Amino acid sequence: MLLHLKNIFKWVNSGGQRVFLLKDINLEVEEGEFISIMGPSGSGKSTLLNLIGMLDGFDEGEYTFLDEPVHTLKEKHRANLYKEYIGFVFQSYHLLDDLTVKENLEMPLLYKKYKGAERKAMVADMLDRFNIVGKKDLFPAQLSGGQQQLVGIARALISSPKLILADEPTGNLNSKQGEEIMELFKQLNNEGVTIIQVTHSEKNAAYGSRIINLLDGRMI
Amino acid sequence: MFKLYLKIAVRYLLKNKLYSFINIFGLAIGIASFVLIMLYVNYEKSYDKFNGSENVHRVFMDYLEGGEFVPGDANAYIVSGPTLKDEFPEIEKFVRFRRIRNMVVLNNNTPFDGMVGSLADPEYFDVFDQGLVKGDESTALSKPYSVVLSTPTAQKIFGDTNPIGQPLKIAGDDSVTFTVTGVMDNTNRNTHIKNDVLVSFSTFYTWTIFKNDWNYTWNQNEYYTYVKVAPNTNAELLNQKIMAFVPEGFEFKERHHLEPIEDIHLYSNKPYEVEVNGNGGNIKLLSIIAFITLLLSWMNYMNLSSTKSLERAKEIGIRKVVGGKKSQLTFQFLSESAMLNCLAIVLALGAVFLLLPAFNRLVGQNLGFTGNQFKGLLPYLGIMLLGASLAALYPAFVLSRFSPAKVLKGQLQTSKNGLHFRRALIITQFVATISLLICTFMANKQIHYLKNRPIGANLNQVIALKGQILDRAYDSIFYNDFDVLLEELKRNPYVAEISCSRTYPGDDFSNTNSNIGITFPNGHTDETHIWYNYGARPGYFDLMGMDFVAGGAYLPTPEKRSHNVVINEEMVRFMGIDNVNTIIGKTINFWGQDWAVKGVVKDYNHFGMKSAMVPMVIRHDRTTQNILVKLDKRATTMAGADKALDEIKNIWDKVFPVSTYKYTFLDQKFEALFNEDRKFTKAFQIFTVLAILIASLGLFGLTSYTCIQRKKEIGVRKVNGATISEILQLLNQNFIKWVGLAFVIAVPIAWFAMDKWLEGFAYKTTISWWIFALAGMAALTIALITVSWQSFKAATVNPVEALRDE
Ligand SMILES: Nc1ncnc2c1ncn2[C@@H]1O[C@H](COP(=O)(O)OP(=O)(O)O)[C@@H](O)[C@H]1O
Ligand SMILES: [Mg+2]
Repeated sequence: MLLHLKNIFKWVNSGGQRVFLLKDINLEVEEGEFISIMGPSGSGKSTLLNLIGMLDGFDEGEYTFLDEPVHTLKEKHRANLYKEYIGFVFQSYHLLDDLTVKENLEMPLLYKKYKGAERKAMVADMLDRFNIVGKKDLFPAQLSGGQQQLVGIARALISSPKLILADEPTGNLNSKQGEEIMELFKQLNNEGVTIIQVTHSEKNAAYGSRIINLLDGRMI
Repeated sequence: MFKLYLKIAVRYLLKNKLYSFINIFGLAIGIASFVLIMLYVNYEKSYDKFNGSENVHRVFMDYLEGGEFVPGDANAYIVSGPTLKDEFPEIEKFVRFRRIRNMVVLNNNTPFDGMVGSLADPEYFDVFDQGLVKGDESTALSKPYSVVLSTPTAQKIFGDTNPIGQPLKIAGDDSVTFTVTGVMDNTNRNTHIKNDVLVSFSTFYTWTIFKNDWNYTWNQNEYYTYVKVAPNTNAELLNQKIMAFVPEGFEFKERHHLEPIEDIHLYSNKPYEVEVNGNGGNIKLLSIIAFITLLLSWMNYMNLSSTKSLERAKEIGIRKVVGGKKSQLTFQFLSESAMLNCLAIVLALGAVFLLLPAFNRLVGQNLGFTGNQFKGLLPYLGIMLLGASLAALYPAFVLSRFSPAKVLKGQLQTSKNGLHFRRALIITQFVATISLLICTFMANKQIHYLKNRPIGANLNQVIALKGQILDRAYDSIFYNDFDVLLEELKRNPYVAEISCSRTYPGDDFSNTNSNIGITFPNGHTDETHIWYNYGARPGYFDLMGMDFVAGGAYLPTPEKRSHNVVINEEMVRFMGIDNVNTIIGKTINFWGQDWAVKGVVKDYNHFGMKSAMVPMVIRHDRTTQNILVKLDKRATTMAGADKALDEIKNIWDKVFPVSTYKYTFLDQKFEALFNEDRKFTKAFQIFTVLAILIASLGLFGLTSYTCIQRKKEIGVRKVNGATISEILQLLNQNFIKWVGLAFVIAVPIAWFAMDKWLEGFAYKTTISWWIFALAGMAALTIALITVSWQSFKAATVNPVEALRDE
């Protein structure tokens, strides 16, 4: 099992009142799954995804990731865990505007203590794999939305994570570009990468093997 | 409408307390330092500025020193004034002052001391534009035995009685009676030549205290001489003519020279100045600092407020979308800016009022917002208002120009120009900061160096007693009593040693004789170099802890004076003698007499640490000028010293009941010689700290700006595995680079400035590399602390916040 959420609650205090963002979430994810999270706006999809990505904490419950109890881990240990195993993809790509495609891809590696030569090889590999060698020296603003998201995914994949978390990865793309991204996810999934994506589109959700529906922070 | 804007502005300032505080505080520091420095600078610059002062010049003497004319003496000869006036039609009037130091005035036998007086020519009132509150300017100094008093002096001596026509006596020769002919109000007069009492110059020719000088013409220069030239005179041309002019009977290798009276206080530093003058270089440096501080604080304000404006972009977008006109928005922000600036000015002026007493104590001045001093500030007030309005306009201008569409889409974050502007500003600030730090450290090192440099004499626990005996008419009686006094003092247990000398290290220039003309033992006569001499009793050298490199002190003789002398090493070098031992017992000749050299003392600093070593001859003399007392160990404690001083005063009063009395600690007086520099260093230190504070605020502003700007980037990097320390490094490394760049620029600037500053000292400390390293490290530390405060906040923000997709 890759990860396990057990009776997870998350809330914020607002005006002396508890406002629940997530209520009693129970979720088991096996390695190699492709899961789609769906639900109306404000239902807690992003919150859940961030929680799985260990970017955000929770207030009650247990979270086990590769047999490690995340809720008891120290901040540093937790950071090492997601650094090693998790890649993020965003709706608005979040590429760094001042860096070229190549540099954007290299960036995560800088924080993982790879040597210069290794980094070069890994970046070249990724550029090859995504067919964007010709774009390596361009800046994000010079790329189309689809191409930018391609770079975003390549960046998430570069240090070979076990799990990709994608929050509405096609939200800013047209349907054709969206389809291409979904095909790519399918292919990655076939190669053994676990994927959890948030989506509003039934069609995109269908690429996955399982759908989780959220309403007001509760799984239904 | 205006009231509404004000209300909104107040609300905004109150809501953003930290921002408002930093902004107002930063501006207030800048303005307050500016006002304080400028008060000081103006005061120093206001010396001898009066109606017509531009036409008044001082006559001084250039000496021929090794083939070149150098300013040799602030005094001129008694006949210099009249001769120049006769020769040059441009010169309309002249005034001579012959100083009467330690003047004691007797009103019906009650002595009043602590006054400075001068013999002065009757043109004084016209040349110096000084009116009388009582008496007639045209006659007050015409007749012999007339005196004019300053208002406080008149008050002191006569209380509320009208002083005009009152008789007075002056100690020294109490057989003659003076008449008060005028009272002048010169308390607010800022001049290098201060007078409490003026005695008509015509008195000189019959007054017996000057009887030794009656026959001198071109023989004795003890006369501060000022000339008033006709308006529109070409002073440069006149000066050329005067320098080339050789009066009849004038056979020295000297020449007359003019200098504007307005420049004396700040730019003249000649032997025999009336008082220790200010330092024009220091004043210039301080003014530059004042302007930089002010400028930096305004730029900081622009920096901070435009940074803050990014956070308000949304508010503006919304206001615009709902129909806010550009002019209305501008007006709103302008009222905020104006309010903030006004608050800062009020706060700054408040701070100046509160800090002024402390500042005055520090710099040893009496600055205030009175009359002239305030008037001097008015032009700067204009600059301040202009600067404040520009600074206030800038954020209003930037804010109101935001395009609402862009703002609402959140596209405002990337303004490259703004960033460059801020970066340049920060680097400039750090250049200033680091330079100031280096200068402060260097100045301190120099003062420390001077303080700890061996003087060549031990002044600790040595006091000089001086007084005027008012009731011993005959020399023989006086000398007898004086010896009794010395004996009595010697017996006191607090007194370890006792001697007398005409002057001592650190004493005023004027108590030492300066001479040109001396014949060396080999028969060679030098007539071009200045050398100095004074008289002292035989015990002087021992008491002062002076070491002999050859020979020893002259021995006491029954007459208590002899033609034996002790010279210093510099004098030996001056004579071109290599082996000091060979001079012992040889004869030198000056003043038309032969003198036998008995000893050579190690060089000691007679004129303080700022002057170079001079050739010195110390004559065996029966002087009674200063009684030097070396206090016993028992007097090293505060209580011991008090007791010792008490007992000494009692002994003095017993022997000389009708006299004035003053004691001076020699070490304190010696150190006071670089008081000016110490004051300057202190002022410099304070304003360095303030400039650093302002620079830190600027850096704070820039950091918060970059942190806002790089919020997304930080989030992305963190999500991709960057740790907090890696983010900190990312955010801080630029600042470190800038500080590094600033350091590289600052080093030569500071080096140059300090090299120039040190030129004013005869003994210079070394410009050490570690000073630069220390300043660089200090600046870096300050920068890092300031920056990290913000960047740590930015680095620890949960990336989820930054990356939330709307
Ligand atoms: N830190 C927070 N504090 C308060 N409310 C939050 C916070 N994070 C999210 N929310 C609220 O929780 C709800 C769920 O948010 P989110 O997970 O972003 O929804 P979704 O991604 O499904 O649209 C929203 O109403 C949002 O406003
Ligand atoms: Mg969402």
